[in-house]
Amino acid sequence: MSETSAPSTLRVAVAGNPNVGKTSLFNVLTGSRHRVGNYSGVTVQRLEGEVVGKLAGEGPPIRLVDLPGIYSLSPTSEDEVVAFDVLTAKDAPDAVLLVLDASNLARNLYLALQVLELGLPLVVALNMVDMAREAGLPVQPQRLAKELGVPVVPTVARTGEGVQALVDALRALDRAESHAPVLVPPGPDDTALQRALEGLHPSLLPAEARTALLARRAGKGVPGAAGTFLASLPESDVRAAAQQLVCARYRRVDEILEVLGHRERVRDDAPAMAPSQRIDAVLTHRVAGLAIFIAVMAFIFVSIFSWADPIMGLIEDAFGWLSGLVSDALGPGLLTELVTEGVIAGVGNVVVFVPQIALLFLFLGLLEDSGYLARAAFLLDRLMARMGLHGRAFIPLLSGYACAIPAILGTRTISTTRDRLVTILMIPFMSCSARLPIYTLVIGALFVSTEPVISRGVDQGLVLLSMYLLSTVSALAMGFLYKRTILVSPTPPLVLELPPYRLPRVRDTLLMVYDRVKDFLRGAATVIMACTVVLWALLSFPAERTGAGQGGATMVAQSYGGRMARTLEPALQPIGQDWRVGVGIIGSFAAREVLVSTLGLVYGMETDEDDPVQLRQALREQKDPDTGRPQHTPLSGFALMVFFVYACMCMSTLAVVRRETGGWKWPAFMFVSMTGLAYVMALLVFQGGRALGLG
Amino acid sequence: MSAPTSLDRLEPGRKADVVGVDGPGDMAVRLLEMGFVPGTRVELVKVAPLGDPLELRVRGYHLSLRRAEAAYVQVTLQ
Repeated sequence: MSETSAPSTLRVAVAGNPNVGKTSLFNVLTGSRHRVGNYSGVTVQRLEGEVVGKLAGEGPPIRLVDLPGIYSLSPTSEDEVVAFDVLTAKDAPDAVLLVLDASNLARNLYLALQVLELGLPLVVALNMVDMAREAGLPVQPQRLAKELGVPVVPTVARTGEGVQALVDALRALDRAESHAPVLVPPGPDDTALQRALEGLHPSLLPAEARTALLARRAGKGVPGAAGTFLASLPESDVRAAAQQLVCARYRRVDEILEVLGHRERVRDDAPAMAPSQRIDAVLTHRVAGLAIFIAVMAFIFVSIFSWADPIMGLIEDAFGWLSGLVSDALGPGLLTELVTEGVIAGVGNVVVFVPQIALLFLFLGLLEDSGYLARAAFLLDRLMARMGLHGRAFIPLLSGYACAIPAILGTRTISTTRDRLVTILMIPFMSCSARLPIYTLVIGALFVSTEPVISRGVDQGLVLLSMYLLSTVSALAMGFLYKRTILVSPTPPLVLELPPYRLPRVRDTLLMVYDRVKDFLRGAATVIMACTVVLWALLSFPAERTGAGQGGATMVAQSYGGRMARTLEPALQPIGQDWRVGVGIIGSFAAREVLVSTLGLVYGMETDEDDPVQLRQALREQKDPDTGRPQHTPLSGFALMVFFVYACMCMSTLAVVRRETGGWKWPAFMFVSMTGLAYVMALLVFQGGRALGLG
Repeated sequence: MSAPTSLDRLEPGRKADVVGVDGPGDMAVRLLEMGFVPGTRVELVKVAPLGDPLELRVRGYHLSLRRAEAAYVQVTLQ
């Protein structure tokens, strides 16, 4: 796929409501090969791919752009603005592929009428016809085609049914032919609408005039002469006109439904929802629903921690083996150290997180595609609303447990800027997977009492759980605080569709997981690798090289990094840490997990060993040079973990926040406030614990 | 037909017809576009376990609104 398209390439925008199988259809058409990008200026994900293989057939290539799922083209959310801008841009796509849910035309057709107003060549994929038939709904593609005046192809994206016909229909579109916008006329009594459109039409295209009207009603500014005209209208007239416009469109939808043979009952009841409603009798039940939700979340957590672990072990082993191989091949020397301790270790530090991230996104994807994630938002909205947030903010917050980067990107579903900001500021408090290696290292090294309270495993598990609870409570508390101090705004509307439950198409979910993992590797690899190399250099120079394993401690102490950390030591002692951990904290500015590799580097130079077991032992056996007592105790370990619950030690997070908020103001605020809070909390833990005689 | 009321005051299982929609900012347009146009039949299906939001059936699908949002939809009971 090349960046620039040959003039003959047919560029098709794929539009549709959320939950209509748009992504499945896109994946089937493109053979699951696509490029992931962003729409310029915003962070709405943009998928682009070409129709491939036998499907493509003869003729110019067909390039598809997947638009975000939207209910309407009126610009009330970022997704809608993006879709509208793409479809009305100067280099608008050659055609639109509109995906409609055959089992829910009463709502889906509203968007269809709006797309028809644009006057672009259009093909409708009447998707999920199998579900519609199962629900006893009439499926009438020919009649629908006649009513809409565009080709309609019945499809089942899940099985690939009708997809070839869809490609043929796209090829059969005559690009040269000008397609007149199909406009729903105002009714005879819609005087406010008639007058408003008359005033707007001279300066705007018909579709733009209608959008401007709804945008004005939505409180957004409209530029130019149209804006001046709209501003001259009384508010009540604009309100009436907007309402009349939506009503006129829905009247037309009802006319079409009648022609298709949807009886009144079918429109008002929801036959396609009947099976889902029986499932919801349990899953959103007052008691069972909440219990099942907690069980689902618990299952996900346990799976991530227990299933990812062996794979992570294998990855660590593999990179260790590779290091050894390179070491043997190159022989001892500076270059060998650069390659093994810098480059290979750096790559390993990135790859080791893939299992956890993949598992979390696998679960999130399955929950979302099955329809359960919407129920989770339904169950929890009361709690989120109490903090002034949307139930939907729950999903990015939950994703924050895996990694703040995709979670922050996921906040785009939140339509108000301030609430998006609050959520973005909350996410880094959620204990991401990069903190887990810190927790497991510290717990594995220091919480190994020979007299456990319950049993060693349970004790360790409870300590880990307490970190997650602390981070969750802190994120919620900070959100509550921000919402009432610096980012005051009304609670955003919920307006959440509860789609029918569906069996997720595993192929689509796996593809999404693959995209996310690739995204993480691309986003994190350079920063973490570069940092590992820089750190290796910081800790290796300037020093007299005395050969492998000899005099390592002196060397690290003399290095630039060691000197920096020693300078910081007076500030670290009150939170129970020494300069070695200080070096790790300096390193963790790049990414939290770098703490572990840096400590490995610090201790590895002494023991000439890069084994985590050895690192744990080294931490355990480290003695305070003044007192001769263990340097690291459970209390100092706890303080260190608390520090990392709060500290914003992740350059990638700050970079993403900068991109999302359009400047350094918020990332700077985030970094300073979080790190300050981290120090205070660690200080409270360590000094408080000592006062209580715990350390 | 009976006296006009607002959508948030329905009992679970009750149906009503939309009379009109109001609300600040985006709210009215959004509610209208999601299908709450005058004359539409709406049913309150369920109240979430924590007492809010509401599950509603409108135009052949299920939608969740908070009580505060549902209050912008004026209806007459069926």
